[in-house]
Amino acid sequence: MTAEINVVPAGGNLKVKLAKAWQSVGPLVVFLTMFALVAILTPTFLGNGGVTIVASSAASVLLVALGQSLVLNIGSIDLSNASITILGAILLAMTLNSVGAIAPLFILIVVSIFGAINGLIIAFTQVPSFALTLGTFGIFQSAALVVSGATTVYVKENGDAIKALYQSGIGGIPMTFALGVIAALVAWWFLRFTRPGLAMTAIGKNESGAIFSGIKTRWLKVLAFTMSGFLSGLAGLTIIAQAGSASPMGLGSDLLLPGIAAAIVGGTSISGGVTNPLNVVFGALSVALVPIASAAVGVPSQAQSLVYGLVIIVTVALTLSRSSNSIVK
Amino acid sequence: MTPSTKSGVPVIALTNIEKSFGSNKAVKGISFSINPGEVVGLIGENGAGKSTLLKILTGMYQPDAGSIEVNGKVVKFKNPRDSISAGIGVVHQEQSLFTNLTVAENIAMNSGKGSSASTKFGIYRWSQIYQAAKVTLEAIGSKLDPKAVVNQLGFVDRQMVEIARAVSADAGADGSSLVILDEPTSVLEKHETEVLEKEIRKLKNFGAVIFVSHRLDEIMRNCERILVMRDGELVADRKTSEVTEKQLFKLMIGHDSRAEASSRKSIDSKETAAIEVNSLSRKGKFSNVSFSVHSGRLTAIVGATGSGREELARALFGAEKIDSGSVLLDGKQINNWRIPKAVKSGIGYVPSERKIEGIIGGFTASENLTLTHPGKSALGPFLIPRARKKIAQDWFNALDVRPNDISQELGRFSGGNQQKVVMAKWLNSPELRVLILDHPLRGLDPGAAETVNAEIKRACKEGAAVILLADTLEEALEMGDQVLVMRDGEVTSSYDLAKQNPSTLDLLERMV
Repeated sequence: MTAEINVVPAGGNLKVKLAKAWQSVGPLVVFLTMFALVAILTPTFLGNGGVTIVASSAASVLLVALGQSLVLNIGSIDLSNASITILGAILLAMTLNSVGAIAPLFILIVVSIFGAINGLIIAFTQVPSFALTLGTFGIFQSAALVVSGATTVYVKENGDAIKALYQSGIGGIPMTFALGVIAALVAWWFLRFTRPGLAMTAIGKNESGAIFSGIKTRWLKVLAFTMSGFLSGLAGLTIIAQAGSASPMGLGSDLLLPGIAAAIVGGTSISGGVTNPLNVVFGALSVALVPIASAAVGVPSQAQSLVYGLVIIVTVALTLSRSSNSIVK
Repeated sequence: MTPSTKSGVPVIALTNIEKSFGSNKAVKGISFSINPGEVVGLIGENGAGKSTLLKILTGMYQPDAGSIEVNGKVVKFKNPRDSISAGIGVVHQEQSLFTNLTVAENIAMNSGKGSSASTKFGIYRWSQIYQAAKVTLEAIGSKLDPKAVVNQLGFVDRQMVEIARAVSADAGADGSSLVILDEPTSVLEKHETEVLEKEIRKLKNFGAVIFVSHRLDEIMRNCERILVMRDGELVADRKTSEVTEKQLFKLMIGHDSRAEASSRKSIDSKETAAIEVNSLSRKGKFSNVSFSVHSGRLTAIVGATGSGREELARALFGAEKIDSGSVLLDGKQINNWRIPKAVKSGIGYVPSERKIEGIIGGFTASENLTLTHPGKSALGPFLIPRARKKIAQDWFNALDVRPNDISQELGRFSGGNQQKVVMAKWLNSPELRVLILDHPLRGLDPGAAETVNAEIKRACKEGAAVILLADTLEEALEMGDQVLVMRDGEVTSSYDLAKQNPSTLDLLERMV
């Protein structure tokens, strides 16, 4: 016999509030703790431009992770975003040489369309996002190899403005990272203060409920994947800014898993409906910090992946939102 | 001769039971006793305190004062488990069986202390399970096969499994058991009701029965004694042979049955209907359905399972495809019907699957309330949280949603309070034209049901056309201006309640 519990148990509220509070500051606390640990163990880390290295390495991870968070938030996943980043970066390097200063804008439109295609196929054919983006991941990767001729494409002309993004900065923090933070602020505002943003979260929390509330769930899925494409393109831009070149095997070619890791370390739920883009900033910083810091602290290179894996598991275990999702996927 | 003279010890005896919620006294000094072999009817309006009393008997609530004796011993139920092990079993209106399991497994699932016999180290002991189920089924006079899988049984047989499960706790271990049947027939078809009634009479040999129903005729047929509750008090305890249906009604309501017809509005035939449905069909679900609902009127659709009324309601909201036919809103034909378009055109839909389709459980109550029709809480695509809070707070106060905390996740509210928010979600639209309600009172306590019904009537008064799929025929007759009866996907009859006065039996005959 099931007895429906009609009253919220006393004390439950406080527990919920504490859990909520921890969720909102957890990723920041985790990052600061790790950072402090490294600074104490290896004081030279700060002096040797460690902060700059972490921030510049975090920039592209952050942008990819923000797109991933928006997609995870609607209950889907985008496995193709990192390959869009590389394809975008290669296309940008090529077009900068030919069409000039308008190229970044042009490329951002193109990658947004790539994202939109992902979204359209998922929304209107109902192919699961995991399967579809696993497929387009391969397609975009091949495209990157083909257009680049499997070599590094260098930016020869019109690249100064973009390279300045990396070279300029405030207090050792490059502008590329600042760009990521601005994107995070915009995404945070979008999710909390706009109707489509709130509706996207509704889809992730309960898609049937969202449908029966009159929400255009399909178009919002398309929008989420389009945004993921756009943010992946911005990540490509930071790669060009940092390296002055792009290659299918070079910088930024392995952003997929760090991007997902940064999203979930930043408190994003893998099963949808829970994300805070501001915390994804700290998620990306943590993900970027771990390999750099473990090297600085003197962890042998063979064990660095082990440290990386442990940190992610422990962080997610600490910051996971458990109140709303009792089912683990 | 009352049965009480036959045996000295009543199965259950209540003395001065009281229960309050805040300042609201739900149960006021109730005393009665029931002897072995008695079938006692319990009637009362929604909100009369029946549910509270039942919840006290089943250990879900603890009384503020008074005492309960079971088979002569004073008991205190701290939780439902205590009540079950004292031999009190309840069968609810909504079935709660595991349909993919066998009859025996379902019965074993509830067998309190007995569960140690059915498992050893957590492993099923099948022979014990089948044997125990057989004994229990025999005790209640049922010949069901314990090895049958529940989803292959008819509704009545399933109800018997529910009963077996309810009484299996300590079948006759110490004294007699009490079976409470909480509106067991409200979802049954007529011939099924007859079979179940026969089965209920057999239960007498097993123990005592409390039979709760809204149907006075049914109560009169099956019970020897009738308890009537009104405003939390026991206003009558009569032998069935000594009262008439009319007297019972008067006792229950506190006044004579009113001529309901006077309150019904007649239709101005020149006025365009808010929604007009013309020969609407969907293959295998419903066919050739035509009706119209005018602004300010309520059409109740009744029908048994498989009548197609649920699918029809969903199709009107754009949630299911339509194969042929047309729908006109305010005289304008609508094409390519989809939910977002329906919502924009002023249609609201309260689904029966509240937790899945009605709410976003992880959103706060205020977010849920303003998700579809934000009103002043959105300026174009931009949200204004402060305005959202004000809108939600106003609705919370108006509908007395408890707890009065708009920023709590809606999934944490009780079903009744969730439903109030779901109602508010649609009523928050000033342009609400058509409100479709699919079992809006399902699983609601009487208080919440009253609030929801009041809101339905108010929406109607303010000009919405309401289509109601009621839980019970009584609800349909009470709320409706018009009643449509559906069977196998077709409308078999339509009653204008301003002119006609069909009985529930009339409706039932056209349903089956």
